[in-house]
Amino acid sequence: MKISARYTLFFALIFALSSCNLEQEIDIEFPEADQRYVVECYLEANRPFNLLITQTAGYFDPFPSSDSEYLESILVDSAQVFIRHQGVEYQLNNELYLDFTTRQLFNYHSNELVPESFDDDFELNITLANGQTIQGITRILPAVPLDSVKVEFQSDADTLARVLAYFSDIPNQENYYRRMLHIGTLDSLPEQDFTVDDRLVEESYVFGSAYDFAVGDTVINTIFHLTKDHYEFIQSVDNATNANGNPFGQPSPLISNLSGTAPATGIFTGVSYSREQTIIER
Amino acid sequence: MMSKSSLIALITLFCSGWVLGQENVTLSGSVKDGESGETLIGATVAVTALGLGTTTNEYGFYSLSIPAGDSITVEFSYVGFQTQNRKLLLKASQTLDVELGTGVDLAEVVVKANSYEEQLNTTEMSVEAISTKEVKLLPVAFGESDILKTIQLKPGIPSGSEGTTGLFVRGGSADQNLIVLDEAIVYNPNHLFGFFSTFNTDAVKDLKLYKGGFPAQYGGRLSSVIDVKLKEGNNKKLSGSGGLGLISSRLTLEGPIEKEKSSFIVSGRRTYVDLFTRQVNNLNEDKEDYSPIPNYYFYDLNTKINFQFGEKDRLYLSGYFGRDVFGFDGDFFDFNFDWGNATGTARWNHVFNPKLFANTTFTYSDYQYDIENKVTGFSFRVGSNIQDANLKSDFYYALNNQHTLRFGGNATYHQFTVGRLKAGSDDGEINFSAGQDYDGVEVGVYVSDDWEVNDDIKINAGLRISGFSNDGTFYTGVEPRFASRFVLSDRTSLKASYARMYQYLHLVANAGAALPTDVWYPTTAKIKPQTSDQVALGLSYLLGTNYFLNFETYYKFLDNQIDFVDGAELFANDNLEEEFAIGKGRGYGFEASIEKKEGRLTGWIGYTLAFIEKGDYQTVDPFGNFTQKGYFSPIYDRRHDLSLVAIYELSPKLTLSGTFVYGSGDLRWLAPSRFTLQDVYGAGFEAVVPDYRDRNNYRLPPYIRLDLGLIIHFTPKWGESDLSINVINATDRRNTFFIYFEPEFSEVTNGDNVISVPERISARQVSLFPILPSISWNFKF
Repeated sequence: MKISARYTLFFALIFALSSCNLEQEIDIEFPEADQRYVVECYLEANRPFNLLITQTAGYFDPFPSSDSEYLESILVDSAQVFIRHQGVEYQLNNELYLDFTTRQLFNYHSNELVPESFDDDFELNITLANGQTIQGITRILPAVPLDSVKVEFQSDADTLARVLAYFSDIPNQENYYRRMLHIGTLDSLPEQDFTVDDRLVEESYVFGSAYDFAVGDTVINTIFHLTKDHYEFIQSVDNATNANGNPFGQPSPLISNLSGTAPATGIFTGVSYSREQTIIER
Repeated sequence: MMSKSSLIALITLFCSGWVLGQENVTLSGSVKDGESGETLIGATVAVTALGLGTTTNEYGFYSLSIPAGDSITVEFSYVGFQTQNRKLLLKASQTLDVELGTGVDLAEVVVKANSYEEQLNTTEMSVEAISTKEVKLLPVAFGESDILKTIQLKPGIPSGSEGTTGLFVRGGSADQNLIVLDEAIVYNPNHLFGFFSTFNTDAVKDLKLYKGGFPAQYGGRLSSVIDVKLKEGNNKKLSGSGGLGLISSRLTLEGPIEKEKSSFIVSGRRTYVDLFTRQVNNLNEDKEDYSPIPNYYFYDLNTKINFQFGEKDRLYLSGYFGRDVFGFDGDFFDFNFDWGNATGTARWNHVFNPKLFANTTFTYSDYQYDIENKVTGFSFRVGSNIQDANLKSDFYYALNNQHTLRFGGNATYHQFTVGRLKAGSDDGEINFSAGQDYDGVEVGVYVSDDWEVNDDIKINAGLRISGFSNDGTFYTGVEPRFASRFVLSDRTSLKASYARMYQYLHLVANAGAALPTDVWYPTTAKIKPQTSDQVALGLSYLLGTNYFLNFETYYKFLDNQIDFVDGAELFANDNLEEEFAIGKGRGYGFEASIEKKEGRLTGWIGYTLAFIEKGDYQTVDPFGNFTQKGYFSPIYDRRHDLSLVAIYELSPKLTLSGTFVYGSGDLRWLAPSRFTLQDVYGAGFEAVVPDYRDRNNYRLPPYIRLDLGLIIHFTPKWGESDLSINVINATDRRNTFFIYFEPEFSEVTNGDNVISVPERISARQVSLFPILPSISWNFKF
């Protein structure tokens, strides 16, 4: 959970000061920053191996005007990518792959499926065209089931309902979760998307919504069970994005679980989740 | 630890003057303002013919040893007051309380070189003082005089970013300032997120800021001591003062309870912008698209009473209470945020004999914030606070004219509530809670000797021993203090000082701006006390009779400095110290000033060249991340700082004033590169993720501001009043308050879908105010 007071203050200040002509565009010149590689690999049991390698751009560099130019500018090709698990090595080939289910794009892919294995590490080894390396280790955690999803109207007369999603924390270990709430389809931007650790809760979690949903609405609750590395990476991305120039925010460098000789950031992690679709009924 | 030989040397130093002055008698008493009966701090008491002199201490008390039997003339003087000469035939020790008058007109007060004599003669260095009289003559934003903001115009005290009262003294961070109001600690000296300080100038008598060479009676913070004293109240007649400004009004009443024996002062102020915003909200509440304006106000109240019991005892009771209140009601939520300080002081002054004066104080301090938000069906409440109860005794012993001893001690009980969180649904289905309580005891004992070795050399040597206990852990700190003055000529003195300081409380503040939600955290088994060692060298020179030049250079070593791991979770975290990173620091610089205190034109010019670096951070959690390696500059590393302050008395009815500030821009931590994050399915991709690298890698444009003021004085039958017309930021410069970044998107048609794609990112600078005229009316009766 995040505190929102400082961001509320930030936006209130921008609104107030811009209306007084106290805001203006300025030029900022940085010395050119070294380019870094960005790796994203989310291993989902029984789904193909997919991986994306991109690279950073100067903060104020113009964005290419066409999709193809844009992809060309960020995708990093010609790397050798292997993932090893339980003695088996899976090679991901350098090919542009669009997952039609998720509409996500990857530039390294294997048709082989990620084994459903929670006990052993997955090891990532990337050798870039220039010989530099990127490594990572992760596991897939078992999904934490949603115990129930409840729909509640404030009173019989009200037309709007809230949705409560319940699940049980796994005891005696540190756990990290990501909660998403979508309306209608997973292709829409989530209404709620945040990460939590289990330090605030001892047994069961309840994530709720406001009284926003009418009869007939479709609501999708998702609970991800995150690795600690994934949790820290998401947190650092959120912190970096939220603090970008906000005087009340604290910038954060990205916290990545990748190592190697190449200047790289990103995340190599297993992904598991429980998801439930609910149609609002009285 | 102090060596045995050092201890012997110290004892020898304290005792060396005991054999002297046995045929002397003692003249002691207090020096007061003849109009109000207020004691005057730092007034000079001198017997010029014998080359003897002293000054009143911070309680207005003086003690001077004089050879018995002689007929002498004693001169009592204080800047802005008429000097008074008293002829005395002293055969035995005598008490003499003196009241000084201001005269008809300040300009008629004889300009004397001795206005600066004390500054030349004292061992004190790295000290800045400012009178409320000066503060009230300088231009101020919204007509709201602010002594804490004005002191920032002195060298070595650069302010934080525009509009804040955060003080970064000689490279110290904002939490390294010991701010005391009538000896009670003020933990957050800010109103309105730092735009105003908590000190109501009408109620303040005196402010003194130590940047280095700290006297042994002060401890607990590394970088500065800001000692604010409230007025005692007029003990001769009922009087009042106040003002109407653009955003606030204030009123002060003071008068005798028993004439010349006891007095009271009550002073309050409140902002009233919320009265207008409430009306606007009420008028528009029926409009569907109307977004209500948040309500905000602050108020504070200072009270003080004092009683004199006989000639030897005086009791003071004072208190401060202030709150900022922010409320925002919408259709679906009700957000309330309030914060503030409360302090209380009970102080007993006792004169044991003409040489020994004691001040015993009990203080209580409280700072808290509370945020409550109610959204349909849910509520959220979080708060933190720190409470102190402190008992201290200070003794002032004027052994003879060569030695003045000070000794004493204090014990403070701290209670902390850190991040008390309670959140959940109204029906109890959803519940979160967090928060930790801590306590600690901080103690200190000290002794110091102000030793006039000979006419040319004066030394102030002291030792403070401090300690802190928390949950079975006990730390001690040995804090030597040393300051010296060497007279090079009757116009020039050379000064040098060294001070070691310990700080046992740490502010958890993970942002550039000071926020009311920053919490204080105690020293624990894992978090050691912060320490600093500062050496300073200074040269003071009196140019002519009315220009005082001061040059100082300093070097400061800092250890156990607090920062936070990358992505620290400081909110509702019961293992907060796991987020800490501990490092070192070093600061050095040069300060120069020229000051003119008397005449129709008064003011000063100050310049600071400063460097500060911190680094070598180690995380408390062995798995924590602190990616920045080596040393780096904190955001408040301001290289050059120049300030010009001028007050010109055009005529008895008109006073012109102006301030000009040039400061190198502060640093900011900006991302030099970016990338696009695809994320997992359902999250939606993030087009621009900033990729932060080295900390504080961008310097903002210089800060330049010119403020002008005109005060028109009136003398109605009932008293005095003035109209204060100010133009803040007279050149209409857009100084940077903060910078933010805005991706600009264009819409692209892809089949049946229209999608937004990023086109460019622009940097936008936000300023706090343009040219800002204001008017306020002030009165006194």
